[in-house]
Amino acid sequence: MRKVYHWEPNGANAQLLITLAEKGLAYESIFLDVLAGENHQPALTALNPGGELPVLVDNGHVFTQASYICEYLEEAYPKNPLMPVDAHGRWVVRGWLKYVDDYYASAMSDLAWEAGRAKVDPAALTAGAQSAPTPERQQVWREHRDPFPSDRLDMARDYVARGVQKLDDALENAPWLAGSTFGLADIALYAWTGYLPWAAPGAVTSNIAEWLERVGARDSVQLALQSGRADNAFAIAAPGPEHTRWG
Amino acid sequence: MSVELYFFQPLGTNSGRVFQALLEKGVDFVEHELSGRDFDHLQPEYLALNPKGQVPILVHDGAVLTEGMLINEYIDECFDGPPLRPEDPRARWTMRGWSRWAENDLGRCLMMINWNRVVPSFVGERSPKEMKHFIETRVPDPDRRRAWLSAFEQTTPPERLAESRRRVTAGAQRVEAHLREHRFVAGETFSLADIDLLNFCSFVIDWMPELVSAKDVPAWAEWRARMNERPAVKAMRARTNFDVPRPGRVPEAQDGPDNDAPAGQAG
Repeated sequence: MRKVYHWEPNGANAQLLITLAEKGLAYESIFLDVLAGENHQPALTALNPGGELPVLVDNGHVFTQASYICEYLEEAYPKNPLMPVDAHGRWVVRGWLKYVDDYYASAMSDLAWEAGRAKVDPAALTAGAQSAPTPERQQVWREHRDPFPSDRLDMARDYVARGVQKLDDALENAPWLAGSTFGLADIALYAWTGYLPWAAPGAVTSNIAEWLERVGARDSVQLALQSGRADNAFAIAAPGPEHTRWG
Repeated sequence: MSVELYFFQPLGTNSGRVFQALLEKGVDFVEHELSGRDFDHLQPEYLALNPKGQVPILVHDGAVLTEGMLINEYIDECFDGPPLRPEDPRARWTMRGWSRWAENDLGRCLMMINWNRVVPSFVGERSPKEMKHFIETRVPDPDRRRAWLSAFEQTTPPERLAESRRRVTAGAQRVEAHLREHRFVAGETFSLADIDLLNFCSFVIDWMPELVSAKDVPAWAEWRARMNERPAVKAMRARTNFDVPRPGRVPEAQDGPDNDAPAGQAG
């Protein structure tokens, strides 16, 4: 049996849940409430020591890191392809995924957190920092207790703005990010850009608004959104992925 | 068909991983070796090819490809020669996870430590003011610009450097445990992940013995000795400058964030 451990269908959780739905792959959904620290419990850390979500268990094997899980699913289950067949087109798709993983996800996560910080009980953050299973994740939670320093927010806004520009440019002449067909790049970018109307409403361009609607109307996205508990998964945030450590 | 590689030196980090993939695959390519010390990669000629000013790039029949990890998958998909990725999808997932970790986690911590040691001496014959101005106006990526500046001005917070050292020590044990169980990083066959662990991380055994010495990581050291026997690696080592930067000497400037490369990287 296939199992997916996930939180609200936003960010990396949405990336995996939408991909599974596009592939038509059935799974048992295990919802863990991140803001209640449920992903820090042994049931999950036994599978993924850092406690990050989502986690896939497929044929008894554990898979982490959404972008690589999605590529695994694409290779293990070729039906309903989500990547182009030519090497250059695949390089383009992987470039989008890497951009999300290197910069866009952590930057968007910071802006989403700032937008929703007031809704989170500070005690939950203290508890989360204590229960986080690794020093890395403890630090991430501690950093989320107080408002972010202005240079961190400036950097996040800058990276989101760059991502938005890339996205807008790509959508200027094509309906989807890899060209004529929907795929893993659209899914990864949607999973984080879904936050944009809430976290940085002024940044939404008409190309992006139309693409968000096109993606959001897909059956796979509708199905993935049903696996959450919040009214709007893109109006709730949790401490996100760590920033790339340059210096 | 034309294949051209713009790179710093053959062994080490992003340039090294792509150089090695081309050699392992047996692809004929035209070499464009850039001098990082002369900041060739921030000159208009190179920025016209890659506006981000990052190295390496592969130019295949006129198409410019960036991002070493992704170039390598492209090479494996495009060219004949021995496969550099496992067949099994799960082993490929393992490969990708380790490649990313070698570059972005362990590799980045190593780079932060080494970069802070050597960048101040990159100033060479420039005045510090000129150097700072050069960084501020010529490094295109804001995050990397910040990394250059904080290393050059020695303003990286000590606790961040200490955390990187902690992660290097912990990460080395992760590598060791994995290589005790597996002959190669992705399992039973040589793959791009071996190339990445070698080029991004394995120099630590020579370079930072205070953090990781060969006796701490015998399985890693044994694996590294096997990697160094590969014809591709031998050819790369023969062409690589292993000069260790010391106070009063000017190291090769290619060892900076634009190559993701710590100084004097060795296999």
